[in-house]
Amino acid sequence: MTSAAMELRNVSVRYVSRKSFFRHDYFTALENVSFTIRRGETLGVIGTNGCGKSTLLRVLSNIYGVDEGEVIWHCRQVSLLSLSLGFDPELSGRDNALISGMLLGGRKKDVLARLDDIIEFSELDDFIDKPIKTYSSGMRARLGFSVALNMQSELLLIDEVMGVGDGKFKQKAQAAMIDKISSKQTVVLVSHSTAQIEALCDRVLWLDAGQVKMLGDSATVLPAYNRFIGQGQVKKV
Amino acid sequence: MFISNRHLIEVFHTKLILNLKAEAAQTYLSYAWWLLEPALMVAVLYLVFAIFLARGTPDFVVFLVCGKIPFLWFSKSVTNASRSIIAGRGLINQVSIPKTFFPMLVVFQDAFKQVIVFIFMFVFIIAYGIDFSWVWLSVGFVILTQFLLISAAALFVAAITPFLPDFRYLISTTMMALMLGSGIFYSYKEVLLPEHQQLFLMNPIANLIKNYRQVLMDGMLPDWSALGAICAASITLIVIMTVYYKKTDTVYARLIAQ
Repeated sequence: MTSAAMELRNVSVRYVSRKSFFRHDYFTALENVSFTIRRGETLGVIGTNGCGKSTLLRVLSNIYGVDEGEVIWHCRQVSLLSLSLGFDPELSGRDNALISGMLLGGRKKDVLARLDDIIEFSELDDFIDKPIKTYSSGMRARLGFSVALNMQSELLLIDEVMGVGDGKFKQKAQAAMIDKISSKQTVVLVSHSTAQIEALCDRVLWLDAGQVKMLGDSATVLPAYNRFIGQGQVKKV
Repeated sequence: MFISNRHLIEVFHTKLILNLKAEAAQTYLSYAWWLLEPALMVAVLYLVFAIFLARGTPDFVVFLVCGKIPFLWFSKSVTNASRSIIAGRGLINQVSIPKTFFPMLVVFQDAFKQVIVFIFMFVFIIAYGIDFSWVWLSVGFVILTQFLLISAAALFVAAITPFLPDFRYLISTTMMALMLGSGIFYSYKEVLLPEHQQLFLMNPIANLIKNYRQVLMDGMLPDWSALGAICAASITLIVIMTVYYKKTDTVYARLIAQ
């Protein structure tokens, strides 16, 4: 039996927003969510906008605490893959790559050792030593993606970062990310693309209004989700 | 949980150096501003109090420098720290990182700049004609005490501001009150009634400024019992705040995202 990388038991998360001095609004982002992430698997998370996908990733990465239930980590390092993490516009691409890589979980010596690969993948050449405030948004995204791609983590959480940049780079980025996900790496992948989820994920978790609507093989969950989406669109028309 | 302490110290150190570099890159005179800013502040006070109001004594510039420079260190660090968690929202929402990281980064960043300011301050005092004395070495204890006080205050204000954004208005008013009530441009011994002086020295900033002057201007050792009391109170608050941050660590990400 495959061992667990992480377990969620009856997890609920609520947001509070202040309406006036004494009045508050509450919004339940996750309600009674339970599931297990298995070591080495790629778990896809699908759902419509606002269903709690991003909140779930933040709970898994211990950025958000939970209001009810518990999260049990069986792995030491979990990274939420974020592009341009901790970027400072005044600093050079090289400095930003270093701090971003360290914030994504890399030790300084490891990030420095990978810096040449990061720079090569980003195709920034001489620009790497210029402040990133002089970069175009595409160049900045390329650097952010290259850093994220080169970082290692026991459990990788990915929120829709499959490819950035233009044409050729996008294809290269997408292929490299797919390679990374398809390896023995444990991954939780949030995506709106059911085709991508189908191609990459062993199991799929479908979230609806903060609750687990379905969890199982992609062959079972995805057709049900597609029917649900289709019905929704028909109703809207 | 996800970042070991060693890794966290490494990130802290790297971020500290890069922040100083980024800060300097924002202005034409870059690192020179670390000295120019306190020098300009002292020049303004000197112009107003020693020249226009003719309140100057022979060593009035040194008197101002010994008061204003430590005060500026305190006020800037605490004010910057109060915004640090909110300013770090980009990181807080993407990485599981202890929230003490943010105010302490500000404290160390400002302390690093302050070391350079202090070196120039000592050179300035000697150049002004005050003789160097080996007693000056004891000013290190005054500086260390102030560092602990700043750390405690920074952790405290940084914890409150995200819950109560209105608190930052109170901070600027408090800093103004502290500036007026810490004897930066007047000598408390000459201005206050003897029965009020002990009360005045209960203000830790006033007490520290008194000690800076006692060491650097009068060539006397600092008041060890006062420094000890400020250190003890600061360490107690640092411990309390560290426990508090540990307990509430994951609260802040949701709070500033809402």
